[in-house]
Amino acid sequence: MTARILIIEDEALVAMELRFVLEDLGHEVIATAADAKTARSIAAENDIDLALVDIHLSDGPTGIDLGRELGQDMGVTVLFMTANPGMVREGVAGTIGVLSKPTDERAVQTAVDYALRRREGRPVEYAPPELQLFG
Amino acid sequence: MGIWPRLEFRLTAAALPWNETDRLSALQAYGILDTEPEQAFDDIVHLASRICDAPIAVVNLIDSGRQWFKAETGLGVRETPLDTSFCAHALLQDDGMVVPDATRDSRFECNPLVTGEAGLRFYAGRLLKSPDGFALGTLCVLDTRVRPEGLTPLQTETLDVLARQVMAQLELRRAIREREEGVVALSESEAQFRAIADSMPQMVWSTLPDGFHDYYNARWYEFTGTPPGSTDGEGWNDMFHPDDQARAWATWKHSLETGDLYEIEYRLRRADGVYRWTLGRATPIRNEAGQITRWFGTCTDIEDLKQSEAGKDLLSQELSHRIKNIFAVVSSLIALSAREHPEAKAFAGSVRDRINALARAHEFVRPHSEVSQPLIGDTTLHTFLSALFRPYVDASGQSRVVIEGDDATFDDQAATSVALLFHELATNAAKYGALSVPGGRVLLRTRNEGDRFILTWTERDGPAIAGKPARQGFGSALSTLSVEGQLGGKLERRWEPGGLVLEADLPATALSRRRAALKKK
Repeated sequence: MTARILIIEDEALVAMELRFVLEDLGHEVIATAADAKTARSIAAENDIDLALVDIHLSDGPTGIDLGRELGQDMGVTVLFMTANPGMVREGVAGTIGVLSKPTDERAVQTAVDYALRRREGRPVEYAPPELQLFG
Repeated sequence: MGIWPRLEFRLTAAALPWNETDRLSALQAYGILDTEPEQAFDDIVHLASRICDAPIAVVNLIDSGRQWFKAETGLGVRETPLDTSFCAHALLQDDGMVVPDATRDSRFECNPLVTGEAGLRFYAGRLLKSPDGFALGTLCVLDTRVRPEGLTPLQTETLDVLARQVMAQLELRRAIREREEGVVALSESEAQFRAIADSMPQMVWSTLPDGFHDYYNARWYEFTGTPPGSTDGEGWNDMFHPDDQARAWATWKHSLETGDLYEIEYRLRRADGVYRWTLGRATPIRNEAGQITRWFGTCTDIEDLKQSEAGKDLLSQELSHRIKNIFAVVSSLIALSAREHPEAKAFAGSVRDRINALARAHEFVRPHSEVSQPLIGDTTLHTFLSALFRPYVDASGQSRVVIEGDDATFDDQAATSVALLFHELATNAAKYGALSVPGGRVLLRTRNEGDRFILTWTERDGPAIAGKPARQGFGSALSTLSVEGQLGGKLERRWEPGGLVLEADLPATALSRRRAALKKK
């Protein structure tokens, strides 16, 4: 499946590489946002299937609330990507789980596949090992 | 006494059977010389005079060069030179001396007091001896009549008793004077204590053995703003933050009961109502029997210290987070650069993998707050390895690398080595070894053995092994360098038919060298 993906990440290099990886997998990267405000406005104006969300953005640790909002209120499937997974150890309502940075292509690919299968309601056996699921 | 020739009698040191310096010191210690007459001593000489029926009676103390009379009757002077002294001779006797007729005694027949106007003929004296045995002087009676019969038994007994009474009086006076001096010294000492205590920047307090606070220095009253005396007894507890009161009470009670050092951090209310973190400490003072007689304590304001610690913590976490981010950026940079050079894709992939392994290892050693603590729990070797081997799972989701044995912690110095070693082992196993075929497994055993820590990596059910490979790959070189160079251990590889077996034998302190170094200090 080709998904419409929003990357929310304030490190430009990391975001750029992620974009390449996702495009190589055949997905469409709608945009990259570095702060919560920009991310919200993009999500409001576009159809987003999946968002990869870092917790620490350029406007502070705003990623958690953003992710919850995108997941619960805006129908987006949300995966957190962060160097600090402890910050969401209790889980975040409306989101799938968290990947620890730095990741590699394989981890991103399998995690995105898994998340999209869940979004489509297709059966999944178990999550990729690098992905920490919530709930 | 005028122009009479002086006797050649001298109380010379060489002639004496005792140490004259010591005797004089003993005399000085009574503090009696040159004091005013006192009734107790006057009474004694009057009684001696009457009972012995002699016109002259003296309490005579032999100083250096003179004899000085604490009490006298019949003489009218309070001191005379030593060279005409009868008593000086008496000192040479054991307990006393009786001279019935001085004109017939070779010691005294030329003495001016005998030959001259004074006309002394009779002398009877008893030594005044200190408890140490020094002869301080005499109690004596003198007469101008010759008395060949000497003293009657009653008179002798009286003189004996009265001489002892003189000593008793001297001892008593001395004890009283010493006690008064002690009292003065004590009050000076207390004044000094208060001066020191009030000049200290810390709050100082003191309690009775039962914990009743009866002293606070000036700093306490300044800080708390309470009126002096209002926090006596147990009023101090109200100055503490409500959340700390019970804990402080319990700790204080424990110290009172056991005599253990009292030490506790709590919040103390300042005069302006602000609570400040304070360190309270106290030690007991014991008497000779070992019982506690008093507690002395201090309160030190540590609010600023605590804030700076909190600040440092925060800074440290900030730094950690940034370091982790840097790993992520470097990793991305490598991947991006590799896109420009497709021929280097494999190279870039392997570098990136190694960097990711390093980053993961450092996740396990950096200082953590509750929030940043890794999701999986403790920062130990086993938990790190579990995370590292997570990609290697079988169809049912079970890990293909089984870890068992003694766990260990590792610090930042060892992190790089640990990460690289196991990353290489796993990667190689995945490329050529047990993890490259579905049924293959690895058993990783770690164990403490005395002062060594041993890790054994055993591959099973992988492809058959012909023997030792012809060339050592770069990855293997990296492993050896990590174990033998960085960690100071020994690395041994055995290519057994069933699979590779690798053993790393490390000094027990290799993984936590910083802590070991600190302990040594």
